[in-house]
Amino acid sequence: MNFPHFSKLIVACLILFPSFTGCISEDKSDNELVILTYDVNALSDSMISKFENSTGLEVRMIKVEDSGSILSYLIQNKGVGNVDLAIGLDNTYLPTAIELDLLEEVSIVKDSISGKNSSSQMPALGPYDGNLATPFDMGFICLNYDSSIVDGLNFTIPTSLWNLTEPEWKGKVALPSPITSSPGRGFMLATLDYFDWQNNDDDFSNWWTAMKDNDAIITSGWSEAYETHYTGGYGEYTEGYIGDAHITVSYCHSPGVESWYNGNWTKSASLDIDKTAFFQVEYASAIKGGNSENAEKFIEYLISSEVNSQMPVENLMYSVLEGQNLPEENGYRFNSIIPSNPAVISNVDIGKNIEIWLEEWNEAMIKSE
Amino acid sequence: MNNTQKFFSILAVFIYSAITIIPIVFAIDRLILVSGFNPILWIQSLDQNYVSQNSIAFTFVQAFFSTILTVLIGFPVAWVLGRHSWPFKAFLRSILTLPFVIPAIIAAMGFLTITGPYGLDVRTDESTWWWTLIFSHAWFNIALIIRFCEPVLSTLNPNFEEQLLLLPNGVTFFSRLKNLWIPILTPSIAAASCMTFVFSFTSFALVKWITVRDKTLESTMAEVSSSAGIQGYMEPSSDIVLGASLIQFLVLLASLWLMSFLQQRRQTKWQQASELFVQNKNAKGWFVLAPAIFFVQLPIISVILGSFRVRDVSENSNSFKWSTEGWSEAFQGSYSFPPLSEALFNSLIYSFGTLIIALPLGYILASTIHQLEENNFNLSRILEIYTMLPFALSAAMIGLGIMLGIIKLNPSAAYDFRFLPVLAHVMITVPFVVRIILPALRSFDLSYDENAKVLGMSNFSRFFKIKLPLMKGSILVATVFTLAMSLGEFGASFIVARNSEWITLPLLIDSLRGKPMKDPLTVPSSNAVATVLMLITMILFLIVEKFRNTKDRGMF
Amino acid sequence: MLSCLNLSKKYGKILFNELNINLEKGEILAIIGPSGCGKTTLLRCICGLEELDSGKILLNGDDITKIPAEERGIGLLFQKPVLYPHLTVSGNLSLASFNNHDKVLVEVGLPNFEDRDVDTLSGGEGQRVALARALLANPNVLLLDEPFSALDLDMSIKLISDVRALLKDRSCPAILVTHNIEEAKLFSDRMIDLSKV
Repeated sequence: MNFPHFSKLIVACLILFPSFTGCISEDKSDNELVILTYDVNALSDSMISKFENSTGLEVRMIKVEDSGSILSYLIQNKGVGNVDLAIGLDNTYLPTAIELDLLEEVSIVKDSISGKNSSSQMPALGPYDGNLATPFDMGFICLNYDSSIVDGLNFTIPTSLWNLTEPEWKGKVALPSPITSSPGRGFMLATLDYFDWQNNDDDFSNWWTAMKDNDAIITSGWSEAYETHYTGGYGEYTEGYIGDAHITVSYCHSPGVESWYNGNWTKSASLDIDKTAFFQVEYASAIKGGNSENAEKFIEYLISSEVNSQMPVENLMYSVLEGQNLPEENGYRFNSIIPSNPAVISNVDIGKNIEIWLEEWNEAMIKSE
Repeated sequence: MNNTQKFFSILAVFIYSAITIIPIVFAIDRLILVSGFNPILWIQSLDQNYVSQNSIAFTFVQAFFSTILTVLIGFPVAWVLGRHSWPFKAFLRSILTLPFVIPAIIAAMGFLTITGPYGLDVRTDESTWWWTLIFSHAWFNIALIIRFCEPVLSTLNPNFEEQLLLLPNGVTFFSRLKNLWIPILTPSIAAASCMTFVFSFTSFALVKWITVRDKTLESTMAEVSSSAGIQGYMEPSSDIVLGASLIQFLVLLASLWLMSFLQQRRQTKWQQASELFVQNKNAKGWFVLAPAIFFVQLPIISVILGSFRVRDVSENSNSFKWSTEGWSEAFQGSYSFPPLSEALFNSLIYSFGTLIIALPLGYILASTIHQLEENNFNLSRILEIYTMLPFALSAAMIGLGIMLGIIKLNPSAAYDFRFLPVLAHVMITVPFVVRIILPALRSFDLSYDENAKVLGMSNFSRFFKIKLPLMKGSILVATVFTLAMSLGEFGASFIVARNSEWITLPLLIDSLRGKPMKDPLTVPSSNAVATVLMLITMILFLIVEKFRNTKDRGMF
Repeated sequence: MLSCLNLSKKYGKILFNELNINLEKGEILAIIGPSGCGKTTLLRCICGLEELDSGKILLNGDDITKIPAEERGIGLLFQKPVLYPHLTVSGNLSLASFNNHDKVLVEVGLPNFEDRDVDTLSGGEGQRVALARALLANPNVLLLDEPFSALDLDMSIKLISDVRALLKDRSCPAILVTHNIEEAKLFSDRMIDLSKV
């Protein structure tokens, strides 16, 4: 063996190996706040830099696809401690996160948040009021329809979900999948209550199968349904628009958002059929193993009046603060409804049954009548 | 092989295994832990889950039709290009084969623009999606048909055709087809078709954006990847990933085997033309070449134009203005999206990082295979196939393999190890490096080295002063190819690079495109990023073309 | 039999100008000259694979100047035997005719070679098969483009005399081009030096 060469080799390896693994990994410092989120609009540049400037903390974001991916990520990383704060779990994912012990308790003062005891029709603390998650925005998920086409003449305005399984609606309803989309999941949960899941085993499955057979468009995310398929929204003017659905799942205040952007006009309207709307709350949670102190600071900032009152404008969702409402300008408030009789499913039930329900949904969708 | 060489060889195989095989094994192990070992069940799960239903059928059918269309479009181009002389032939060939190196996500953007309101305006008609997808696959892969067939045609000894003209039973059209064209072109067309099938089969970016409703096995895997490998949570995701990757693995392996089998039977028996041979010009050939050039350039130009076209929001309409706002938005970025410069920086860092590992690693592996060919042919064959294994893995599987595999070894590394995407890129590029360097080594004239030996030069000297300089061309091709593939890589990075600070140019394009379309700058900014990526890729590609051996018949 | 009148062709430089060649039935003519002087081009023009700049070619009195190569009935033996590797010897012969394979193979000294793979043949054997095929096509004239140049001396001498005998036997007129005077002397009845014409 050629010794001079061999020793050069050993030295080379010794230098390369550690430098490759060691100094390149990023250790979290105490001055850092790592936020796990999907694309939450509220977390804008200015909002973040204000926080950084006032606290001296440095914010780093880990972006995943959607709400569901946040949960998956947390489960995959349980105990690793590389994430301090998760923003964007909603009340359909939260029960699982709690059950799997992924979250850390924080002591946030929630007095300013609309709660169980308030007369608000949208109590942000209603679904969950513990210390593992703090609400930061909310809204009612419900069906929206294009009122310029669904006007009683060209299309009858549905009064029951079964209407949507009729031939007139074939291929004209766009629904996000409950497996991958949180509004989709919320809507699915509403249909469970609509079809009285506790007392009735079959209607829920039968309806979804009938919808599938009626060529309902199932999308992986909300934006595909709303922007690409729905004719009632702004999708018309965007690239990739197809415009084959006149009803979709969105929020009861989405028509208000449309109106606000369009200067007080919209053709989109919310469908207020009993038990088809689902109350969704989105949460910010400190993660077990992360820096909960820093996380707390951000949560407090997120529910501060200064930030949270801007939710309708920055994030297109309701603020969770007591006494807050949608702005009146441009018909935002006027065109938004609060459903008279929304679906009700408790967090406990969600936690216990969500996997079963998703499986039932899946079975219904692969079945053919 | 002396001891130093042996040491390097073993080290290379070890590193290659560590980077490539071990993470995949760990990933599969983890998935099996969740799903149990039941291949039939895995495959059945694809039909039993709504999210993956029909993906098997769709994947096969679209790959099949894509292959046919690719041959139908590509072959006339290869024929015309190969049979006649053309001004700037090398340049024409570069333009026509350029699509192959354009990242798929950019092609998707281009085709969406072409079919959208500023183009043919057929996007709203769902029946056009299928055709858009097939055409986009053909767009990509005609380069393969051209690369495989054109050299055969242009270096064929014309005597073969002339002799047939002078023989009574040889002169008819069918005779020429049967006795000349079919035997000589079938291996090339078949090999190119195999590769086209493979690439279409594992298509991701194009399927994701173009055929919104249907999914391939690859896009299904990417969609469920975030929830795969978790025990007790969304377990069907693990079933789906195992089922999809098993099918993919088998199909890819079969295609690769078929392709290498066909290439072995290639036209080495057919004499090549003398270098003095001059082909005729044929102006009629422009009827084929001109549309082909248009077809090839159209998506590229659409993307560039699209970066300057901003929808006018003052009216709710499709009216637009020309502006550089999209570029500014791309350069500035926001908290939602890092600026273009950061993504570019990441992309370049990753691609150079990939190069530093993949090039020497691939070279040593190729060298090892070549040296073993003399003493231990079976072992060299095994090693050669071993280095090709990543070809049989789709990008999504590679990404997933790294994520799940690394998690098993060191969970925090999965999200803290900044160079994690490099591992994915290395996995994908090492086989290409081997496939480029190995033929060059095989055709390296031993007498150069032997002569240097008798002149008294040491191993070290001979390697750096004789061998490397003579191998310069193929090393450069391998370098540029590695850089280009790493820059444009999307599928694996989509899964691996979750940390937004690791974002690369292709991922940035995808993220920007996924923003709510209400923002009129969504599309122009993503097109701006796409333009930057395209320009870099094109420059690299043109550099390669200068050094390529034009008699090479094959992918690279 | 074959009359070439005032043939002219240039490729940059003039290859031949106002060249006249006559070939009688059964005659074997050799055209000699150094490499690059236009011998191969002349043959290719005669059999129709290339066009003349000017001049006429008459075969048995008929003007074939404008007739395509496949219709002239003139055969060409290329410098390297053009055998189709995917066909056996018999397969290659079939391109000329489906019959009499055994007979012609005996004539060229390769009996029972029908089923052989062409890439197992030696240089000389390959040329013999090419010749057999050319003869099977029953050409009016056979042109030979330096077919012996790639072979070693012993083999080529044998082949030259065998081929000459065969052609004489069939009274097949032939033109050989070569740069080798000895070869030309052995093979032909008379010679023309292209470089001196």
